[in-house]
Amino acid sequence: MDEVIRMDHISRYFVVGDSVVKALDNVSLSVERGEFLGIMGPSGSGKSTMMNLIGCLDTPTDGHILIGGEDTGSLSESELAYIRNRRIGFVFQQFNLLGRLNALDNVITPLLYSGMGVGERRERAMHALERVGLAERMKHRPNELSGGQKQRVAIARAIVTEPDIILADEPTGALDTHTGNQIMDLFRSLHQEGNTIVIVTHNDEIGRACPRLVKIRDGRIEGGED
Amino acid sequence: MFFENIKLAFKSMLANKMRSILSLLGIVIGVGSVVAILTLGASAAGSITASLESGGIDTISLTATPTAKNYDTFDERLGQRLMENVEGIEAVIGISSSRIRIRNGKIIKTNNVYGVSSDYHTINNYNVAEGSWFTSDQNIQRSQVVVLGSSIAKSLFPDGDAVGSSISLFRSQGSKSFTVIGVMEKKDSSFTASYNDSLYIPYNTFTQRIQNVSYVGNYVIKVADGYNAVTVSDNISAFLNRLVGSDSFFVFSQANLSEIASSITGTFGTFLAAIAGISLLVGGIGIMNIMLVSVAERTKEIGIRKALGASPKVIRGQFITEAIVLTMVGGLVGIALGSGISFLVCRLVDWSFSISIKSYVISVGFSTFIGLFFGWYPAKKAAMLDPIEALNYE
Repeated sequence: MDEVIRMDHISRYFVVGDSVVKALDNVSLSVERGEFLGIMGPSGSGKSTMMNLIGCLDTPTDGHILIGGEDTGSLSESELAYIRNRRIGFVFQQFNLLGRLNALDNVITPLLYSGMGVGERRERAMHALERVGLAERMKHRPNELSGGQKQRVAIARAIVTEPDIILADEPTGALDTHTGNQIMDLFRSLHQEGNTIVIVTHNDEIGRACPRLVKIRDGRIEGGED
Repeated sequence: MFFENIKLAFKSMLANKMRSILSLLGIVIGVGSVVAILTLGASAAGSITASLESGGIDTISLTATPTAKNYDTFDERLGQRLMENVEGIEAVIGISSSRIRIRNGKIIKTNNVYGVSSDYHTINNYNVAEGSWFTSDQNIQRSQVVVLGSSIAKSLFPDGDAVGSSISLFRSQGSKSFTVIGVMEKKDSSFTASYNDSLYIPYNTFTQRIQNVSYVGNYVIKVADGYNAVTVSDNISAFLNRLVGSDSFFVFSQANLSEIASSITGTFGTFLAAIAGISLLVGGIGIMNIMLVSVAERTKEIGIRKALGASPKVIRGQFITEAIVLTMVGGLVGIALGSGISFLVCRLVDWSFSISIKSYVISVGFSTFIGLFFGWYPAKKAAMLDPIEALNYE
């Protein structure tokens, strides 16, 4: 099987004043291509640290993490940026769209950093917006879109690079239940198309909707999965 | 990526119009004053040189301030001696002058009357408006003919019927009648001659019919083609120094003066431009300030871009481009402003307006450099931001 995420005895410590906080303590996890994984835990459990490590925004204090077979621990800032660009598609709770750009330009942005030609960028971005059902809104700016529409633009931005992992952080946290369900439906259909999806959440309902669920508490995986 | 950066730079500039305008103002004023000063300097130098050269760049004036001992040296024969001893002299003309009372009917004036040679007017680029200048025959024959400067002609002959009329020139005893044979065009005074108020009669007429003296007060020396007037005037000074001593004469050439004038305007212009350059520096600090604010304000945006895969280099490029675009827009507006002001000033004081391409190149180059220099630190700061902290920034 094709392993897209592999964590081997990962620890991540932070020094706060005089004390050392163990955000993650000896965690191991393996995710295969095409999985739909939920990472659930209360706030302060270490799930955000986990997301930052998978998203190559951070590197572990101890242990090895392989994203698409590549050990990120030894990589420079630019090399991490390259992996984020090619292998990870982020979806955030607060959408994090660029306010000055319209939906299409927002979706194009990650393609700018991969050095793609103008025509292909546009075509792929339009295709991604079609995929999330927002083709007719592509000239709208974020402030002209509803919360659900913003999150759809963000998802289009995440899938436009055809990443190995779609990494979502509380993707329904800022939405009402109905819209949240629609977004979860969108994730499910993306999963059915073969995408690997990792959702980080503290919400039981969202967690239960994930085919595979990993619970985290106090920096460790509960039940010792993996 | 480069074009996207430029597009982004304009987007963010337009997003904060007022702030952009205010922070650009420093660059606009700096570049504007550099351009205005250099352009006006060049125009002023051009006009000064032109006005000096109209007095005859190839003539040298020698004024005698003799002592009793060497009084005799300054006579008609000095010209010949100069031509024999100093290289590069084409001609030497003696000029004698005196303030003399003149009368036409009821109108009486007291003005300078010059005794000059028949080629005085050609050497000084002084043109006849009406009638003619006297001939060398008239000089030899000591004819009683006179040529009038434009303004004295107007005051003696308000009706404009000067040529052909007679006027009287008074001496210590009695007066002599002279026929007006020509009226000159208007000509700006040079440092050695005031043309329009003066009257001109043949040299021999002056020395033998008006004042019986052998002493010559002024000489106009024409420099031969291919010789430098400044060098020739230096050589004349050296020769006269040996002959009479340095306190008995005064050598003066337009070339000398225009050299001094252009070096003064040049130095002065550079000095002012340097001061204006300081305002460019201040403008640059303003740019740095605004870029730091912009980076702080857009921390979240930087975090998002980093999450989407922008490397530190890309982020740095984006902000440096923004700073350079900002200063270059300021530079272009400044050039327009500076050129406009210079153009108006030139129109106002009647200088010929000449565009200084050099100042444009300097200004654009310098403002781009300022964008690069003062944009570097904020851009580096943006590039070094921690992506997690930047993403969580509210």
